[in-house]
Amino acid sequence: MAWVTGCYLAYLALPIVLLVVGSVGEIWLNTLLPHGLTGRWYLEVWSDGSFRRAFVVSLEVAAATCVVTALLGLPLAYTIYSAGSRGVRAAARLIALLPIAVPPLVLGFGFVLVFSSDALPYLGSLWVLVAGHVVLTLPYIVQTLVADMRHLRLGILLQAAESLGASGPRRFLDIVLPSLRHSLGSGLVTVAALSIGEFQLSNLVAGFLTRPYPVVLLQAFYGATGFACAATTILLALALLGSVTGSLAARGAGAAGPASA
Amino acid sequence: MTASTLALEDVAFAYPGSGFRVDGLDLAVAPGELVAVIGASGSGKSTVLKLAAGFLTPARGRIVIDGADVTAAPPRTRDLGVVFQAYALFPHMSALENVAYPLKVRGVDGRRRREQALRMLALVGLAALAERRPDQLSGGQQQRVALARALVFRPRALLLDEPLSALDAALRGEMRDEIRRLQREHGIATLHVTHDQEEALSMADRVVVMREGRIEQAGTPRQLYEQPRTRWVASFVGRANLWDGVVREATAVETTIGLLRAGAIRLPPGAPATVLVRPEGVRLGAAPDGANTFRGRLVRDRFLGATRRYDLEVAGGTIAGETSDAGSIDVVHIPPDRVQVIPAGGSS
Repeated sequence: MAWVTGCYLAYLALPIVLLVVGSVGEIWLNTLLPHGLTGRWYLEVWSDGSFRRAFVVSLEVAAATCVVTALLGLPLAYTIYSAGSRGVRAAARLIALLPIAVPPLVLGFGFVLVFSSDALPYLGSLWVLVAGHVVLTLPYIVQTLVADMRHLRLGILLQAAESLGASGPRRFLDIVLPSLRHSLGSGLVTVAALSIGEFQLSNLVAGFLTRPYPVVLLQAFYGATGFACAATTILLALALLGSVTGSLAARGAGAAGPASA
Repeated sequence: MTASTLALEDVAFAYPGSGFRVDGLDLAVAPGELVAVIGASGSGKSTVLKLAAGFLTPARGRIVIDGADVTAAPPRTRDLGVVFQAYALFPHMSALENVAYPLKVRGVDGRRRREQALRMLALVGLAALAERRPDQLSGGQQQRVALARALVFRPRALLLDEPLSALDAALRGEMRDEIRRLQREHGIATLHVTHDQEEALSMADRVVVMREGRIEQAGTPRQLYEQPRTRWVASFVGRANLWDGVVREATAVETTIGLLRAGAIRLPPGAPATVLVRPEGVRLGAAPDGANTFRGRLVRDRFLGATRRYDLEVAGGTIAGETSDAGSIDVVHIPPDRVQVIPAGGSS
């Protein structure tokens, strides 16, 4: 088993290693590894205004997507968890999971049709991009939260809090949020990583000034190999940054979670 | 009559879509009294607790606490301490924080609520573990924290939802005494729902037996055991020999195992009846006058430490008995004052 795991990890790591090596290689033409060592590809990416803007857009979109999915995901997950009727539970689950079954491309075309009309001429705006990312990522956070609610038997905890005199908002702040901090944190890490790496839908609905990083990255593949590698490595670092930030936020929430006696 | 602390008056409730309902529930818990509600799974005993706590709203009838109608009041305003089957301790809080929580929501300042919570934890013997999280406590310790949390804000009544079912047998016995001690010390009216009849009989001042959403019988543990009103209660509460029979005269009833002499029978001759004999009422050997004496073959013999349970197969049936005697068993007799005759019919 160990060698299978080792081979698989090597298979996963190899492209990343090659990207990093390529991003600091001077020339890379029909050889196993590039020749020379340089940092100029990173400088070129940095000095390119469209990449810099895309970098900021991606962070903005990921942050906004995290906020909106948290605000929508918590009540939606609780509705699915606590729905008395099986039919309601099944319908809510279907709605939440539908975006996973529908390819982002199809969803993108839907957004183009709706938001390019005279009634809703918002195609290309940052908020349409955020809305698209929310639809794509919401199922992941909802699934994580519902599983945690079941594991914690949140309904009983809330009944206990209510019997002890806690009002609705108090139960939410004292019980729901601290109890779900780990799943909410890990769900948001997934949402941030998916949002930062999303291409298909973003390519269709983003405007010229709201193109996120993966869409702009496509241009890099038509230029020098070193430039493409540097631009892709930055995307990897961006996704990693999102994941680490999400993990730290979850851990921070965990440390701050316990109520004072 | 003493005014009750907690009362359910002619309460009815039906679970939507399931067909299961409770109906005609009349139940009162007097100040300082411990009332146990027992019944088989699906009898509606947990529904009684949920109705009292406010987690369910009755379709008919009233829930009254200290004389006030709280039927429409939400659970948080009822001031009832609830101990849940799975304890429902908040996993992100320490034992101390859990116990202090009801004081916190009532606006008690930090120092006072810490003092009160610590005092309550000391009362259940857990002051030394105050800073531990629920997952660092054993089942029995969690149960004590849950009990302390339910009592710390001096609720008007205590509701216990199968609080001992998750504990092992030895700890269950210990916790029964612990709950009873705390309940008496606080003088708090308590409604205790359990499927464990031994727990109910040993702890409660009164026991309510539920069956299919209705109250089958209510009374003291002794009344339920010694004077069950129906065959079903007789079979549900404690172990019992039950035989169908017909009353022959004022002190004799014909059963499947033969004619049994009894004390005064309140049924007329010819009336169908159920005959109840508790196993501990069966004596070894023949009666001096030969009445109610049966010879048979020992088919089951179980050693239980202080007692021995046996089944003696006799003509027409089996007699279950209990004795501390270690000798052979082939003849037994049933003293007439141990033979109870219950009207047949109505309840199976």
